[in-house]
Amino acid sequence: MDTSDVLLLARAQFGLNIGFHILFPSLTIALAWILLYFRVQYARSNDAAWLATYKLWTKVFALSFAMGVVTGITMSFQFGTNWPGYMQAVGNVAGPLLAYEVLFAFFLEGTFLGVMLFGMNRVPPWVHVFATAMVALGTTLSSFWILALNSWMQTPAGHTLDGGMIIAGDWWQVIFNPSFPFRLTHMLLASGLTASFVIAGLSAWRLLRASDDVSARRTLRTGLVLAAVLAPLQIFVGDLHGLNTLEHQPAKIAAIEAIWKTGRGVPLVLFAVPNDEQQRNDFAVEIPQLASVILKHDPDAELKGIDAFAPDVPPVAPVFFAFRVMVGMGVLMLILAWAGAWVTRRGAPPPRWLLWTCAGFTFSGWIATLAGWLVSEIGRQPWLVTGVLKTADAVGRVSGAELGASLTGYVVTYALMLLAYMVVLTHLAGKGAHA
Amino acid sequence: MNPQFTLDLPLVFMVLMGLAVLLYVVLDGYDLGVGMLMPAADAREQDFMVASIGPFWDANETWLVLGIGILLVAFPAAHGVVLGALYLPVAAMLIGLMLRGAAFEFRIKAEGWHRELWNWLFWFGSFLTSFAQGLMLGRYITGFETGFVYYAFALVTGAALCGGYVLLGATWLVLKTEGELQKKALAWARWGLLWVALGVALVSLATPLVSETVRAKWFDFPRTAALMLLPLATAAAWLLVWHATGRLRRRTGAPEWVPFAGAVAIFVLAFAGLAYSLFPYVVMDRLTIWQAASHPSALKMVLIGVAIVLPFLVAYTAFAYYVFRGKARAGLYD
Repeated sequence: MDTSDVLLLARAQFGLNIGFHILFPSLTIALAWILLYFRVQYARSNDAAWLATYKLWTKVFALSFAMGVVTGITMSFQFGTNWPGYMQAVGNVAGPLLAYEVLFAFFLEGTFLGVMLFGMNRVPPWVHVFATAMVALGTTLSSFWILALNSWMQTPAGHTLDGGMIIAGDWWQVIFNPSFPFRLTHMLLASGLTASFVIAGLSAWRLLRASDDVSARRTLRTGLVLAAVLAPLQIFVGDLHGLNTLEHQPAKIAAIEAIWKTGRGVPLVLFAVPNDEQQRNDFAVEIPQLASVILKHDPDAELKGIDAFAPDVPPVAPVFFAFRVMVGMGVLMLILAWAGAWVTRRGAPPPRWLLWTCAGFTFSGWIATLAGWLVSEIGRQPWLVTGVLKTADAVGRVSGAELGASLTGYVVTYALMLLAYMVVLTHLAGKGAHA
Repeated sequence: MNPQFTLDLPLVFMVLMGLAVLLYVVLDGYDLGVGMLMPAADAREQDFMVASIGPFWDANETWLVLGIGILLVAFPAAHGVVLGALYLPVAAMLIGLMLRGAAFEFRIKAEGWHRELWNWLFWFGSFLTSFAQGLMLGRYITGFETGFVYYAFALVTGAALCGGYVLLGATWLVLKTEGELQKKALAWARWGLLWVALGVALVSLATPLVSETVRAKWFDFPRTAALMLLPLATAAAWLLVWHATGRLRRRTGAPEWVPFAGAVAIFVLAFAGLAYSLFPYVVMDRLTIWQAASHPSALKMVLIGVAIVLPFLVAYTAFAYYVFRGKARAGLYD
């Protein structure tokens, strides 16, 4: 088998796994904090409806968390099976960051999860609140370390050479590398939005069947209000993240905006079909000079195009489209959240159009997150670690047959799990909360 | 700093990795064993069995991630070789782990034939994981040699590890359940024990036959005499479990924790034997821990993290086992 085919299979397999994995943490990171909110509300009010709410969403959390754990274990192995060159080249930097995630986050959340899920009647209420808080802290710490690593791969800093080996010179700079603060905030907000829409969507699903469910009304409102606050924040942070990318990974921005040639007064491409072979845009709809205005705040500013970075450039079309899916989804989510928060103000009963729309948007956060992840990860190709290591140099010598066989196994398993997950979630939501 | 004192970092990390793997094998071993015993129980008993491992399985599996994490961080050269050579069994194990992890959550929420299906997948995932791990062990200690004998050897270790996990699972149930189910668990434990005796004996005899390195290390008089303490102690632990399960069955009074403790002792002793066979190799006959070790700067960073986390980890793990002490109760989420 051709080596480029093996590379493609290895990327497809890893991409499939990590893309499947990211769905669950992107929900559970924020859901854990929302659960803590429900739990504290119950502790303060002793209201059975809060307890029922907490219990229902704990079940959703447990299910999602388990899916995240098992797909995450898979990933820790695929670093070695699919990308042996990665650890050999940058293991001295990447390894400790991964180890810190396991040490500081996984054990914390894994151990307290047991107490949180099954220990309510075995420990005093404050210990149970504490366990819930530790699970939330654990999920957030986990995202801290994994995004420190991902950001370091995007915008490496703080590393140095020791006899040809890449090692960390300054751990502080490695962790707090240039894109890390933006990426972490962007991801945490994405998680907040994903969880808000799952909560609003599943509550709406319940209200379509039982419109007088007190708990579901309450959680619909929780989801909508939270999303209404987080969505504009996310757009603001996303813009900052974009400017940071322009500074550190300009080739990614050129791909996002489908700018092929370096020039002044660059137009903003609203829509086009980027043609990677001919290096131009087909069917382009453009607004003159707007890209220069947005990115440099100057209508005549120079923007570097793909030609400035060739041959080390990402494929333009997937990055361009994924970016537009992400932004488009984000705008729709903002509109729905504001409209929903407005029409349900002061305890007004939610109209049916809102319930149907929310139910339809249940997994909208997943679509936006996946699209954003594709922008970020395809956009840094051909680099695995920008300027340090290329993806093609990290791939292993596993045979195409082994990759193909295991890929088939993973696809079947993931399809089964995702289907079951969605069925159980809608089933749980349909039954509603009971103390 | 005193120049006389330099920490042998690769050695420290080998000990840490060994500890993580041993803890994983014992801890996830009992919950995998319970999973493999599912088909032998009726529906009500299955709920108690799952309840006995419910609060623990997630943290148990984290030890696997830590073990593989240390291999990745501390011995990157070995990590690529080992995981590349074990590609298919690793994939099988991962699929098994995913199936049982998902099945664990889904079966609680399912009813009717759906629950039957998840029960079956829980069993299948547990079995696939255990067998794949045994297979990996067999491939690993023979240095990934190819040839019929080596593959047959790996099949034997695969089956033996399943037996070992069944023993751990059954003795765990003796500790965490009561009545009819406990009686069944005692019978399962004795079956597991027979299986383990066969497995340990076969592996102990076969390893020196298939590996020259191992043969040289064990048959080196007079060291051999001292080394014979290991099999003797293993036999003593075996007899202890056999005796204790017998007494518990006849209700002539024996502490319920003895069978599990004995089963753990068997695992610790077998692990010590394997560790002795392998040391100082991290890839048998090819890479020693010093050859495969990563840069001291990385090792130091991780060691700092371990030093900070370890006291907390021990404390809250102890706390979780304390909270869920005593017999398992049905109705997980109540």
